[in-house]
Amino acid sequence: MSLGYLSTQVLNGLSFGALLFLLASGFTLVFGLMRVVNLAHGAFYLLGGNVAISVTAATGSYLAGLVTAVVVTALVGLVSERLLLRPVRNNELLEVLVTVGLAFVIADLCLWAFGGNPRSVPLPEFLTGSVSLGSVTFPKYRLVLVILAVAIAVGLKLIQSRTRIGTVVRAGVDDRETASSLGIDIERVFTLLFVFGAALAGLAGVAAAGILTMRPGADTEILLFALVVVIIGGLGSIEGAALGSVLIGLIDAFSRLWLPELSYFAVFAPMALILVLRPQGLLGKAV
Amino acid sequence: MRRYSGWAATAVLLALLLIVPAWSQRYVLSLFTLAVITALLAVSVNTLAGEAGLVSMGHAGISASAAYAVAWAVRDQHGLATQLLLALLVTVAVSALYGITAMRTSGLVFLMITLALGVMVYGIALKWSKVTGGQSGLIGIRRPESLLDPWAFYYFCLAILAVTLVALWLFGRSPLGLSFRGIRDSESRMTSLGYATPAIKFAAMMLSGLVAGTAGVLAVWNSQFMSPSAAAFEVSAMAVIIIIIGGVGAPLGPIIGAGLVVGIEHWLSSYVERWPTLLGLLFIAVVILMPRGVAGVLWDRRDGPGSTLPATALLRRSGGVRPTPKPPADAVTPRDLTDVRGHHQKGS
Repeated sequence: MSLGYLSTQVLNGLSFGALLFLLASGFTLVFGLMRVVNLAHGAFYLLGGNVAISVTAATGSYLAGLVTAVVVTALVGLVSERLLLRPVRNNELLEVLVTVGLAFVIADLCLWAFGGNPRSVPLPEFLTGSVSLGSVTFPKYRLVLVILAVAIAVGLKLIQSRTRIGTVVRAGVDDRETASSLGIDIERVFTLLFVFGAALAGLAGVAAAGILTMRPGADTEILLFALVVVIIGGLGSIEGAALGSVLIGLIDAFSRLWLPELSYFAVFAPMALILVLRPQGLLGKAV
Repeated sequence: MRRYSGWAATAVLLALLLIVPAWSQRYVLSLFTLAVITALLAVSVNTLAGEAGLVSMGHAGISASAAYAVAWAVRDQHGLATQLLLALLVTVAVSALYGITAMRTSGLVFLMITLALGVMVYGIALKWSKVTGGQSGLIGIRRPESLLDPWAFYYFCLAILAVTLVALWLFGRSPLGLSFRGIRDSESRMTSLGYATPAIKFAAMMLSGLVAGTAGVLAVWNSQFMSPSAAAFEVSAMAVIIIIIGGVGAPLGPIIGAGLVVGIEHWLSSYVERWPTLLGLLFIAVVILMPRGVAGVLWDRRDGPGSTLPATALLRRSGGVRPTPKPPADAVTPRDLTDVRGHHQKGS
């Protein structure tokens, strides 16, 4: 295997990992604070990707597609949290089931609105082409994805440790009751975070529409990867999501190459191993 | 009076299941057959959830694996004994994988892991086309000669369901069965009493897996066709919503829930085109409006063996949250819980 081939595969893995991080970070943040396992996260991704494709096609502007997609998923997140999740707050099983119902509805409406054919978004000129590094050339878009994910990871970490809202969220994670008794409106923080997570999933959908296809079933498939990432990395941990994304992205890229038919098993094996040896995940706090 | 209401309900339900199909047309019979098989899968999920407090969102992966085993055996023209043996081996192997992976977790993490496992089985079924036939599936599966008659097959499925329920009820009174319930009520107490809780959860998964495998065999004999969609997430999620509708832990809950869901699906999907959307809305409505389930609302609110467990009592202790005592069985609704918002977070 030549160096160029190997590094292309590594970049493929890292760029898929970047997508996974966009998804998994939102998922893990929402879980960390609200204890909500949002199984509609994959559906938000599918919705975001599809909206971006349609709006880009209609307006001819990729940027318009991107912004609309993020706004639409954020709004859907807002409505879902206020109308559907709030009535079952604090009951973990019921919260999960509400998100399952929501996932069914969104996925089916996507099928209705956007059809059943695989779709992807035409990338604008400044994102296409390739970059040469020495003897190796990389597709520019995949590099951009990696940079975007790193930027978001750093941004999230800074927000979490340096800003007031980050402090509020951390307080809520550590002790919800004390935080509310100190005058923090924890319900508003919940809504804000859920909307933020949905917007991140929508963004992930837009980003994915450039290298993958949006089609019925893509939501469950990507949800699986996001779940594996957060389980491996440790629930609620941004660093864990980052580590898990890189690992699963690379494992997926190479297993698609070497055992294309059993690539799911290649994702399962490390998850099972980590769960047996370290049930709380690589960077998770002991439960 | 209450003591007898459970028995009366059982008698009515049994009479309904026994008598109606005998007099009805072929398509009503096929609905009843589907409902009974769906109920059996829900029973396996209910065993884990009601007895051990573990909610699995991936059980379709186990039942579909068993169904594939039958399909392979039939394709290679093996007899009934080989079909069943292969199905048993595959069920045990897949359940063991589920068990080993998930036995050291509980609550939401358990749910996520089983979900991931179920989607993986689906993905493998879809991609490993040499073995599974991929998207186009495996055709030409015939059920055993003596069960070819649809009425005979229906009563066979019903008998299996009844035997399973009785066996599980007896098992629930055995020491191992009681230790499942101990884990459901307080895992940390069981640990401090010296029980190896991961091993008990593994056993619970194996038991539940066997029931799921049985459901898978019946399902493939019923459809006489096997495709990855049998392992789809929707099937696993449906089993969970069925036990919510029926009341988690209620022995007959899965039958009521499956009957309602299969019936509503049949009834609505002939009028409405967007059935999955309606199904999703139905999920949400059931969860928000009657989290105790139909059975929980109608009957038995006693605490103790055989009673329904409100879904509101499940899954409260994941993520390092200290176990809370089970809330009083009467009238716990999510709306009540919003008043004591966050109380279960104490000490996390």
